[in-house]
Amino acid sequence: MESHLLSDTHSDEPQANPAWSILDTPEQWMRFSQTVGDEAQPLVESSLLLDGLRCAACSGTVERGLSGLPGIVSARVSMSKKRAVVVWSAELTQPSTILAAIQKMGYSANPASHNESQLNATQKNRAAFWRWLVAGFCMMQVMMYASPSYFTKTGEIETDIQLLLNWAAWLLSLPVMLFSSRSFFSNAWHDLKAKQISMDLPVALGIGITFVVSSAATFDPSGWWGDVVYFDSLTMFVFFLLSARLIEVKLHSKTLGAMEALVSRIPENTERQNADGSYTRVINSQLSVGDIVRVNTGEAFPADGLLLSGQTKVDESLLTGESTPIHKNQGEHVVAGSYNLGATVTMRLETLGESTQYGQIVQLINQAAIEKPRLSQLADRVARPFLFFILLSAVLSAVLLWEQGHGLALMTAAAVLIVTCPCALSLATPAAMLASASAFVKRGILIRHLQAIESIDQIDTVIFDKTGTLTDNHIAVKSLSVKDGLSEAQALAMASALASQSMHPIAMAVTYAAKQNPLANALSITLEQVEEQVGAGMQGRFEQRPLKLGSAAFCAVHSDQVQARDERYQQVYLADDSGWLATFNLQEAIKANTAQAIAALQQAQLDVELLSGDQWHTVKNTAALVGIKVFQAACSPNDKLQRLQGLKLQGKKVLMVGDGLNDGPILASAHVSIAMGKGVPLTLAHADYVLLNGDISEIPALIKHAKKTMRIIKQNIAWAVIYNAVCIPLAFFAWLSPWQAGLGMATSSLIVVLNALRLSQFSHSSVNSSKA
Amino acid sequence: MDILFVLIPLSVVLALVVLAGLWWAVYRGQFEDIEEEGRRIFEEDKE
Repeated sequence: MESHLLSDTHSDEPQANPAWSILDTPEQWMRFSQTVGDEAQPLVESSLLLDGLRCAACSGTVERGLSGLPGIVSARVSMSKKRAVVVWSAELTQPSTILAAIQKMGYSANPASHNESQLNATQKNRAAFWRWLVAGFCMMQVMMYASPSYFTKTGEIETDIQLLLNWAAWLLSLPVMLFSSRSFFSNAWHDLKAKQISMDLPVALGIGITFVVSSAATFDPSGWWGDVVYFDSLTMFVFFLLSARLIEVKLHSKTLGAMEALVSRIPENTERQNADGSYTRVINSQLSVGDIVRVNTGEAFPADGLLLSGQTKVDESLLTGESTPIHKNQGEHVVAGSYNLGATVTMRLETLGESTQYGQIVQLINQAAIEKPRLSQLADRVARPFLFFILLSAVLSAVLLWEQGHGLALMTAAAVLIVTCPCALSLATPAAMLASASAFVKRGILIRHLQAIESIDQIDTVIFDKTGTLTDNHIAVKSLSVKDGLSEAQALAMASALASQSMHPIAMAVTYAAKQNPLANALSITLEQVEEQVGAGMQGRFEQRPLKLGSAAFCAVHSDQVQARDERYQQVYLADDSGWLATFNLQEAIKANTAQAIAALQQAQLDVELLSGDQWHTVKNTAALVGIKVFQAACSPNDKLQRLQGLKLQGKKVLMVGDGLNDGPILASAHVSIAMGKGVPLTLAHADYVLLNGDISEIPALIKHAKKTMRIIKQNIAWAVIYNAVCIPLAFFAWLSPWQAGLGMATSSLIVVLNALRLSQFSHSSVNSSKA
Repeated sequence: MDILFVLIPLSVVLALVVLAGLWWAVYRGQFEDIEEEGRRIFEEDKE
């Protein structure tokens, strides 16, 4: 009944895809399925990716709809994973029928190819969970056998019963020893073979010693190891350590969730057009430039390219920061990683994989995540001698206590080994910085180096570029005046012939103005030898005469030649060898919230300056509007560099904020830099941070968050140091039993990770105060 | 207290049996999607 209704409401949806029929052969369906059931009744279990699931009720609808079909044994839909697992009989139905049925219900389904990395991840997660479960369960059971000795005096339990209890505890410690703690031993062994020493070595030694001492006490209670067993301690600290690691992994993947969501948004496969016009789903790695693909509603575009047919709305928010869906017509560009929201369209692929902006963002994120910041390198350097120190103190404590009892001496050594936590020390920095970086990504801020979090914490001066940074890229030509005898259309056409060769915002504005003018559009002007002089203008040759577009100095126009000089506007000139031809009056909009952002920076005791290549009066206007007192106009890139060097000599740490396109060298030489990522190829934006949405008001919040990150890193390091300073002596003087040591170490590393997790969101207070 | 000589070994065997059960559950994916099953009870029954 319900599925009938649904199929009615969605009758305008595209009907069953004929290309699905190729999935109906066993070779094809085995790529996303596996055989289940027995020989008498062979069944196939397929996993499908579902699109269009909106709520839990949707998953019920699909499940019910599928279960009602002939040949389908069971259907399970997971809302969170957007996957369906369908078990069906190959004799009664086939994949294309199943896919068509789902399509009819108003959802779209695709075969989910077995993703190697995903399968591996599931396997790994299961193994880790199972190790932990074994340790936990055996710990509880071993504790049962140990508990009688907690409440009785020596000798109160009959010797043979005590022995039986010890044997039972030994038997259940074996899985913990041989299976659950295997990773500690194998890691320690790997590191030793590579002549390294890591955190796993003391842990493995501690576990090993405890097990040997306890086993000896079990089987030879009168021997010189003594008769005390520590199986309860052994299983307990293995369980604590594994719990800590499991939680760490969970928390870590939670923090990185935002990044992964970005990295994995492109579907694994795409519908490619065949020579006969039909479509086949292929894995993305088989796509090449020039292919024509069909992208359904709700899917992400697999590559950059041109829309060939249809018009749609796309969501480019993660790539450009533009939050409202953008309308795209036939012939317009779409970018990889943006979502197709409107309708099914076809596109021709132009740029694939890592050369797309999306690919670059993914690359940047991955790079930043593996890079080791300074503090974490420092921690690693400290950890090594520290571990040697621990091994030495363990030996020393054993030697000192040897006379009092061999078992006690060895167990004290084990406690010393286990209580140490350079883990907390080496986790302190990367955990916090990664959490922080993921918070940045959620706000549309990409970070190139984790080190930049520390750098931006130290700055005392902020220098802004003007165009494209404080002001919008959307500069518009407000009016123009031309020399007598020249029409506006001619002037526009000539100027845009020059300007179209440049990506400078002013040039783009001139080009745009010419496009809007039908008369100018009709004129076609061909230029020769067009070149750009950075920071000055464009020049070329038109009908054998030089033609220039740019600043007054560049065009060599004098104020007496120029008509209608207007202080309100920024102006560019068009000139040839006879002099002035036209003046374009441009006006640019200052970005929203800029004044507040600058006020927030000044409140935070930062010096704010404005350096611009534009004319004095426009720079002055802008500076006054946004509240910057120190500014310098008509700066060549060299002037800007010199100003930066001057500040550096004074010992200032400078944050440079630029558009990332025309100021690469300046950004690179600043202490730390932020580039606007809007409309700029990311590979060209050589900055430490890239603001994808170009929103200046994020900067105070960014700085605040970086400061908070550094504060938390310091807390973490302080905690690790204090913990070790207190606990190692305690263990050394035999005041800590091994299980207490294990608990201490597990909690101390968890505290570090939890503290770092506070950074995975921009706190509300930092956002509010930045806008206040 | 002689019964302890039977009960203690029996408890070890029982523990191993439970472990085997847990192994089955883990590798059947019983712990992978914990929220889904909880939500399922709010949905309408299959007809």
